[in-house]
Amino acid sequence: MKQKKTTALFLALPWIVTLLLFWLYPIIYSFVVGFTNKRLLSKTYEWVGFDNYKTLLTDEAFLVALKNTAIFVIGTIPFTTIIALLLALLVNKQFKGRGLFRAGFFLPSITSMVVIALIFTNLFQRGGYIALLAEMLGFTVPQHGFLLDSSTALFSIMAMDVWMAVGYYMLIFLAGLKAIPQELYESAKIEGAGVVRQFFSITLPMLKPVALFILVINSIKSFQVFVEIFVMTQGKFETSTMVYFIYEAGLTTKFNFGYASAAAYILFVIVALFSFVQFKLLKQRGEAW
Amino acid sequence: MVKSILRYTMLLFILGIMIFPLLWMFRVSLMETGNSIQLDNLLGTSFTFQNYIDLFSNSQIGRYLYNSMFVGVIVTFGNIIFCFMTAYTIARYKYIVNKLLFVSVILILMIPIHIVIIPMYLLMVQFGIYDSYFALILPWLVNPIGIFLVKQYIDSIPPSMEEAARIDGASEMRILFRIVMPLCKPVLAVLAIQVFFTNWNSFLFPFILTQSDSVRTLPVGLALMQGHQAIDWQHLMAGSAIAVVPVLIVFIIMQKQIVSGITTGGIKQ
Repeated sequence: MKQKKTTALFLALPWIVTLLLFWLYPIIYSFVVGFTNKRLLSKTYEWVGFDNYKTLLTDEAFLVALKNTAIFVIGTIPFTTIIALLLALLVNKQFKGRGLFRAGFFLPSITSMVVIALIFTNLFQRGGYIALLAEMLGFTVPQHGFLLDSSTALFSIMAMDVWMAVGYYMLIFLAGLKAIPQELYESAKIEGAGVVRQFFSITLPMLKPVALFILVINSIKSFQVFVEIFVMTQGKFETSTMVYFIYEAGLTTKFNFGYASAAAYILFVIVALFSFVQFKLLKQRGEAW
Repeated sequence: MVKSILRYTMLLFILGIMIFPLLWMFRVSLMETGNSIQLDNLLGTSFTFQNYIDLFSNSQIGRYLYNSMFVGVIVTFGNIIFCFMTAYTIARYKYIVNKLLFVSVILILMIPIHIVIIPMYLLMVQFGIYDSYFALILPWLVNPIGIFLVKQYIDSIPPSMEEAARIDGASEMRILFRIVMPLCKPVLAVLAIQVFFTNWNSFLFPFILTQSDSVRTLPVGLALMQGHQAIDWQHLMAGSAIAVVPVLIVFIIMQKQIVSGITTGGIKQ
């Protein structure tokens, strides 16, 4: 018995070490540092109480980052979810070449974000294909392309993110569609319900848990947008986001660890709330299946 | 018939939108430098492998590729073994500590990893492993999502085989690696692909935890290549293609596992 207990602990050792060293320690450390004025090269630092948090709430750059993150989350998620659902419906029924289309739609989601961001940097610039297409359709393209203009940069990156993510969420919707019992449709048909009626009375309500799940994981991910901002605009042209702000305040010229950690904790609280909901939903979903 | 044609037209149109950027990348990577990469040339005859040759002989791309592979393979193997071990403990032993372990997995699962960039950076500096392979490997050898995934799977396996082996006098280690692990092959395959992809594409941590070419991974190298020189799209896209091709190959071979991995739920990108 004693030996079994030792085995149990031994097996979990890698996780316990990782947990303590690379998760709990950094999380607690950044909480504490958030109340100090620690910087990279200063050996000594002082407690400043809630000063970092107070300064953050009046820091223009932080507020812009917060606003942009909110725009990003609210602006991309409805589009991603609806387009993903439409794609899922389109490739749900059996037809020739279905697997190919599914794979093709999903392809952008497994490509490196750095690569995608590099490609779109070209496509969005003046003379790039998206700019050319926009001109053909009668839109005016900003003088230096979509990414070098404050009125279009953030929205362009958001559009790219929607394009990239829809295939991934399409697959999750497909799993949801598969879980709907066919008998429901059959009895609906017998009662004379048309395709549209079936969609609104059966498909949509049955997909609600999956849709909720998608909403939550997508928002958690969108709150942490960084790579595309870093590669495409370096946070310029009103595109800075929360994680970009943390990076810039803490790990570029200023190396203001205390300040950046406080900003990270604000993000942490926001995302933790969403994650909590995610777990609740996951559990429900696990029980339902 | 008309309906079918309509459907395929629509599907092909969408497919075009979804794969055009990648096709464009491959096409540009095969164009001679100095050519305009715009409309007229895209369908033109300009065709060369020179950009790839240049990259491998004059830049660090070969090094980045090696680093990405090396780190990716070790992290993937680490996760297969360690996530499995931890998941097995949580699923099969019923001590209070194990309950606590499961709670820890769930809690960490909810934490946005990006908030720890500053302490992680400091930690690596303190340990003296900043800018080394250790910084890219050690924190990622086991992950909560993986533990959760494998634990769910082990829960669904009846413990009768393990009990029989125990009666026969097999050691715990033998039961673990010879009996349970082979049964977990499907979920471990899903885990492996996921970990490999995530690691292959990850940017932020490799970026902040390294500074020299000798340990940099492909995404980091590519992102910084763009910043260094006036943009030469042919070479940049050749570099991008080098980062995409391994993922494409794995995707084509393992499509089934990848799809089932996503649809079993709870997977972060």
